Amino acid sequence: MQVNEPTAQRGVADLRVEAVSQVFGSVRGPVHAVDNVTFDVAAGRFVGLVGPSGCGKSSLLLMMAGLLAPTSGQVLVCGRAITKPEPTEIGVVFQESSLLPWKTALENVEFPLALRGVDRDVRRSSALKMLELVGLKDFVDRRPHELSGGMKQRVAVARGFCQDPRILLMDEPFAALDEQTRMTLGDELLQIWEQHKKTVVFVTHGLTEAVYLCDEVLVMGARPGRILKKIAIDLPRPRTYEVMATERFGRLRDEIWQLIRTTTRT
Amino acid sequence: MSRSRQLAIQLGIVVALLLAWEMIVQTGVVDARLLPPFSEVITRFWAILRDPEVLRHLGVTTSEVLLSFVIVTPLGIGLGLLLGENDYIGKAFKSFFFFMASVPKSVFLPLFILTLGIGFAQKVAFGVFQAIFVLVISSIAAAESIPPDFVKMGRAFGATRRQQYQLIYLPAMLPVIVEGLRLGMIFSITGVLFAEMYVSRAGLGHLIANWGSRFELANLLAGILLATLLSIFINETLRYFERRLGAWRI
Repeated sequence: MQVNEPTAQRGVADLRVEAVSQVFGSVRGPVHAVDNVTFDVAAGRFVGLVGPSGCGKSSLLLMMAGLLAPTSGQVLVCGRAITKPEPTEIGVVFQESSLLPWKTALENVEFPLALRGVDRDVRRSSALKMLELVGLKDFVDRRPHELSGGMKQRVAVARGFCQDPRILLMDEPFAALDEQTRMTLGDELLQIWEQHKKTVVFVTHGLTEAVYLCDEVLVMGARPGRILKKIAIDLPRPRTYEVMATERFGRLRDEIWQLIRTTTRT
Repeated sequence: MSRSRQLAIQLGIVVALLLAWEMIVQTGVVDARLLPPFSEVITRFWAILRDPEVLRHLGVTTSEVLLSFVIVTPLGIGLGLLLGENDYIGKAFKSFFFFMASVPKSVFLPLFILTLGIGFAQKVAFGVFQAIFVLVISSIAAAESIPPDFVKMGRAFGATRRQQYQLIYLPAMLPVIVEGLRLGMIFSITGVLFAEMYVSRAGLGHLIANWGSRFELANLLAGILLATLLSIFINETLRYFERRLGAWRI
């Protein structure tokens, strides 16, 4: 089952994935990691990408970040096709294992700016501001091995935000964290998002997380990787912990799981 | 066990062994012509350190080791990076270095003598030969040990190839490379000293071989002591830097 989205009515969508496929060669023949996927992400929306292992969400994220060229189709940012990473338009938040261990938290956050040759004082103050935003003002000079998992991931988030990109891609950012930390960071992320209204694509395995954080969830299926359904999460914002106990929440979560379950069996 | 207690015990063992050595010679259990007492070795040790001839030979060895090190280090690291980074070339040549690393290099010494003679150049060349395989292997390991997440992250934030090497690869590999340097230094020293002992007109190895063949045992043991202390000093210095640079390594 395929879902194709028409271009957003009001002007061009912030991010558009158009007929994108990713085919790998393998010993057993071609693997359709992503098969003709099309969807839009409207400006300021928090969109989740959920699916089982092997559904191609990582490949999709790499293509949206400009790190992997689609076998066919294209990725458009504000109507413009991208062919390589565009760090000022698209920020990426990886897992905390992507922090450079020999750099301090501050140096890690300013790293993208340093790559672009931004003046030292300017990038220092930007990075400090971001670290304060994620609550790590007192830890700017610590190295990653001196920080907890949650703190490291906050640094990764600060780094993604640092260049003030229009779009933020988040690649299972909380996957390696324990549940309590995930919930805390999820709330913090929503707070920052409310303030800065970025366009977010959030890839995750977690169904609860997806329903709690997102405006809409794209449910993916595997073999071949494709979008099964787009589910609108019409829960009120700002999301509070109480919403997780509502019947609505449960039904949404259930809908996603049923979709994934039934397609995984085939 | 506390550090100071550990140290005390280690020192105690060394002192006990030295005392035992001194005793078994002084009491005649072992002939002093076969094993000079420690006190005599120490006296000779200080004497040779003040001997200008010895210092000249020491200078020769030092320059041979240094030159060997200066040549083999960029060569070995560069090759290792190339082989570790480039799958295509890497697959073809990696096994060669792994195989050669396990071969005792000393058997090649006569070849070096036939082609390069017994002078300075031959010693340096053999030092390089001795060290290069280990250095290449550890540099390959360094290049391959870089977490792919780092590279992905660098690319996502727009790092150019040069920036990737300079700002991500190099610092990530530094501790492993420094370890390789240390090994390179040890093997350079080993290679040079061995070549000097086998046949040479100058150098510390040459002196040691001479003292041995002339049964000047006190001098021989003093020379061995000198070589030992120097090697330990160099090794520990490099280990110190290794630890300092690798503070973030878990």
